[in-house]
Amino acid sequence: MKILIIEDEFDLLIAINNFLVKENFICELAENFRKADEKLSINEYDIILLDINLPDGNGLALLNTIKKRQKKAGVIIVSAKNSLDDKIRGLDLGADDYMTKPFQLSELNSRIKAVLRRKQFDGTNILTFNEISINTDSKSVTIQGKEITLTRKEYDLLLFFLINKNRVLTKEAISEHLWDDNIDLSDNFDFIYTHLNNIRRKIKLAGGTDYIKTLYGMGYKFTQR
Amino acid sequence: MKFLTKINRNYLILYFLILAGVTIVGYYILQAIILRGTKENLLSKEYLIRKQIIATGEIPNLYPIIEGQKTNDSSIIDPLFKEIEIWNELEKENEVFLEYSNEIKINDSYYLIKLRQSAFENEDLVIVLAFTLFILLLSAFLISFLVTKRMNKTVWADFEYNLQAIETFNLSENKNITLLNSNTEEFERLNRVVTNLTEKLKTDYLSLKQFTENASHEIQTPLTIALINLEEFLQLDLAPDTLKKIVISINAIKRLSTLNQSLTLLTKIENKQFISIKTLNINDIINYYIQEFAPLFETKKLKIDLIIEHDFTIKINKQLAELLITNLLSNAVNHNIPNGFIQILVKKNELKICNTGEVNSFTEENIFNRFVKGQSKSFGLGLAIVKKICETYDLEIHYFKNKLHCFTINSKS
Repeated sequence: MKILIIEDEFDLLIAINNFLVKENFICELAENFRKADEKLSINEYDIILLDINLPDGNGLALLNTIKKRQKKAGVIIVSAKNSLDDKIRGLDLGADDYMTKPFQLSELNSRIKAVLRRKQFDGTNILTFNEISINTDSKSVTIQGKEITLTRKEYDLLLFFLINKNRVLTKEAISEHLWDDNIDLSDNFDFIYTHLNNIRRKIKLAGGTDYIKTLYGMGYKFTQR
Repeated sequence: MKFLTKINRNYLILYFLILAGVTIVGYYILQAIILRGTKENLLSKEYLIRKQIIATGEIPNLYPIIEGQKTNDSSIIDPLFKEIEIWNELEKENEVFLEYSNEIKINDSYYLIKLRQSAFENEDLVIVLAFTLFILLLSAFLISFLVTKRMNKTVWADFEYNLQAIETFNLSENKNITLLNSNTEEFERLNRVVTNLTEKLKTDYLSLKQFTENASHEIQTPLTIALINLEEFLQLDLAPDTLKKIVISINAIKRLSTLNQSLTLLTKIENKQFISIKTLNINDIINYYIQEFAPLFETKKLKIDLIIEHDFTIKINKQLAELLITNLLSNAVNHNIPNGFIQILVKKNELKICNTGEVNSFTEENIFNRFVKGQSKSFGLGLAIVKKICETYDLEIHYFKNKLHCFTINSKS
């Protein structure tokens, strides 16, 4: 999978690049509008991460070039502005998703994978981890071929874990992924625990293993024991 | 009161006073003139009678108009005018007459002459004349009033138009204010002042808006860099204590970013930058978010009591309406006690959200202030945002507590 990262802040560009390389993506970098435009007209990408606040032009203008030359590419806009107008405009111009800074890598990972699934680049809509398998089309989960019923939030949570397997996920990162930005959850991380217990119980009941490791004071990690 | 109405009212009062004054004064003047005419008339009659007595020696008698008699009394009395009442047989009533009495001496004989003229007819004449005066003046005034009113309307029409333009002017719509030119100097001056003022407001507003957005942008990017790098540290095989410190740092950065976003949001609401406004049914939003919040309610074992008596529609920006509801619901959950409950009641033009909770010292005056928080870990901006949204959309919000903590929102319309 080939990704073009367009971001004017060098440190951020490098940090995202390092993470995505570890996730086995091939990355190319562009730190301004001119370079991004150049790269977009030469190469083909699967995913384009686009910061719309560039020093030498509005990133939204690049969406036209992308539409013409990168018909296959999934576009994720990254913006410092939590502005609904920009979001609507970006999505109207053909972007697949809109992320607001600050974001975490686990969230970025989840969004990229979601766009890839939607674009069917993977050729498959099935995610598996040992005996657990998630069908992202039908939004169903099977343990050793046996289907288990999860609520929407439980499903989202399990998918988030599978995509970010072997990574430490803080409660805040999880809650942000599951919930609307609007909802002030500062006092209510207990609900994650409730969800997790339900998932664990359902997986065990179907004869699966509990891969969710609790790291006290830190968060959770989905990993092979 | 409208300027023109005021002017017209003042005109009418003035007109009325002039009209009343002129009519009353006119009445007395006419009365005096006619009285004088009557007296002259009586005096000329006396002269005619004197001539007749000299010529014929006959004393004319025509009661009640002329009365004459020979008298021996030589104590000459002065000529005298007075008003007397005489019984009128024909009309069966007393009639007022002006009487002139005089004793005249002709050829050594004395005659007492009484001449009378009905004052009643005079009075009638005066009234008719005064009334005519009144009608003429009234029509003159009415015509002048209507013409002035018409003229005022034309003269003030441009002013009225401009006033409306100023009223509907909205900074956040990013349109220039367009005022009609006027050939009245004062209005033209006013237009110039308003145009300059709005230009100034617009530049100030835009620079403030830009500053807010830039500040948000500039802060969020370095926060992202810090956050991402710390997140990568968290994946390393470090001592648990170190990892916990990293988590604490991550959360601090997130809080900082949330704080920044909330403050920018407040400014954006204050600047009325949320312009797309629709008529929304609050019930739909509540129903949706009650579903969304369900896991939270469940975790805290809260019972939800939702009563919808009527649709409650508000003209509001959708994003802010959702924010309003989620903030109130978050508040009701965060400050609730385990196994407590939340009551939501929707009536026509009213929403009431009550929840069980710990005793607090807040009052309606301070609970909506920024950075006011109880035991919560939040920033205490949620209710400040709620209040700001209510103010922006003409909603009244109140907080009160009996056994429960309650918030009510009323639409003023």
